[in-house]
Amino acid sequence: MDKAAMMQTAQEMVESFVDLPTIPHVATRVIELLDRPGVELDEVADMILADQVLAARVIKMVNSPLYKPANEIKSVKRALIYLGFRHIRELAFTCSFVDVFEGRDGIFDVRTFWEHSFGVGVVSKIIAQRVRYPDTEKAYLVGIVHDIGEVFLSYYRQDAFRALLESVKGQPFRLVEKEAEYLGTSHSEIGLCIARKWNFPAEYCEVIGLHHDPEQAVLDPTLCAIVNLADLFCSVRQLDYGGNSWVTFNLAEEKAWAILRAYAPNLADLDVERFCYELDDRVPEILDMVKSIFQGIGAKEPS
Amino acid sequence: MPLDMKPFDAKSAPKISDKDFEQLRDYIYNVCGIYFHSSKKYFLESRLARRMEGTGCKTHADYYQFVRSPATGRSELTKLLDEITTNETCFFRNMPQLNALENKFLPEIIGTKGKIGFKKLRIWSAGSSSGEEAYTMAMILLEKRATLLKDWIIEIVGTDINETVLAQAREGVYNSYSVRNTPDYYLKKYFKEESPGRFLLSPEVKKLATFNQLNLYDDNKMLFMKSFDFIFCANVLIYFDTSSKSKVVQHFYNNLQPYGYFFVGQSESLHGVNDKFKTVHFPGGFTYNK
Repeated sequence: MDKAAMMQTAQEMVESFVDLPTIPHVATRVIELLDRPGVELDEVADMILADQVLAARVIKMVNSPLYKPANEIKSVKRALIYLGFRHIRELAFTCSFVDVFEGRDGIFDVRTFWEHSFGVGVVSKIIAQRVRYPDTEKAYLVGIVHDIGEVFLSYYRQDAFRALLESVKGQPFRLVEKEAEYLGTSHSEIGLCIARKWNFPAEYCEVIGLHHDPEQAVLDPTLCAIVNLADLFCSVRQLDYGGNSWVTFNLAEEKAWAILRAYAPNLADLDVERFCYELDDRVPEILDMVKSIFQGIGAKEPS
Repeated sequence: MPLDMKPFDAKSAPKISDKDFEQLRDYIYNVCGIYFHSSKKYFLESRLARRMEGTGCKTHADYYQFVRSPATGRSELTKLLDEITTNETCFFRNMPQLNALENKFLPEIIGTKGKIGFKKLRIWSAGSSSGEEAYTMAMILLEKRATLLKDWIIEIVGTDINETVLAQAREGVYNSYSVRNTPDYYLKKYFKEESPGRFLLSPEVKKLATFNQLNLYDDNKMLFMKSFDFIFCANVLIYFDTSSKSKVVQHFYNNLQPYGYFFVGQSESLHGVNDKFKTVHFPGGFTYNK
């Protein structure tokens, strides 16, 4: 399908969305701080402490199995010391986004969106480490936000989405292709429009728009390829929108794999089987982490 | 549960530390190609307790040394693998694999072969044991008899080195443990519970599969196992050393149709065994093709 037409449709659609949330203030500040050299630790701490809900959520998450503290961490300051500066940015950024999607359970439960998104974040980071991509935190964050379009598209276009899922029952499919067929656009374009509206940095916009077409990326094809692969792996290892996506793939035929192999020749030796099994071991941690975001504070506990 | 197995008291098993677990897991993975998920830690712990008792090892670290020793290691590892994989065989054992097969790989192969008018499907369960895997396939294919597989010839071959289990496969009588994973629909349709806990497989399923003795090491006989569309070999290769594994897998590769798929067990890996097979991922697992 014509990319320009899909983009046009997405733009019109996003304009038509009633009550599309705005980007949280804290997230904007975290993004500002992301690439600024010499940011003080206190600046980040102050920013988190200024928002009590956010502070409480950060503490909940830092105590989840993903970060494995030996003793319970009870203050933002301790969380900062335990995680270090770079990681606290990740956490603040993610936590600040939770409310944006609250109550947007359309076709997908928002929690399954978070499970997939965190999964892709964590796996993007692991792949980034393997290929020695310089900014693994960026890979993590952009992994988390890569699918923002999906939440809104499935929420605002529930009938079409339902028909789409009905049509593929019991068959393998790639969601992005089916969306183009049923909606004239896909979550990639929708996500890109929203990311631009929210003034996300250019590389983030690129990944959101092209995470299914990494070969078209210009700013950072490696980053796009990392997120693309992480997305594929999550789709086949239980972090798949509660089983609502059904993908098969042959790594050797994936463009992202070719991009990453050119970037990091050592990837040829990757034990893909073991990589999958290790990923399975991370799944419960990721699910617990998502549970911890929803528990008790601010956001409604999903049923 | 087989009669020779004592029920195990999980509480009495010594707790394995994360470090010992990871060390042993890496060793088993590197030597046998089977991965222990963290969620199986307690299972491994309880099975290890039996082997530690059998070998007189006091700690997990002692056992790790024992299982790695050149003199006793390999035979001990076989005993450990026996502990780990016993009881694994049952109908509908690997659901993600079966779902992928039913939804994706089977329709794909039928499409490919149908186009050239070659309406014959050949499936091999290598290391078939008492036939659960082969018959599971038979039931799944029978369900497609009126639609996708109308007018198709279906050949399912189960092979094993052990004549006793082959005789059981041919007999087609199973206990409740073997059918524990079987969906109700299949259980009602294809089994008859002759007496409590004794299930007879229906003749229509039985006649789709044949069982023959075969040693996977036997190069001459392996040459005759030709033109399969699907080959299954679960929890068999883990017992072979690397060079035998490579040789056997090369046979599977040669005996598979160009569009066919080769499946191993749920936590197994062929990494480093064969560089020709390509990995194809599906939800909850992966398979290999050419």
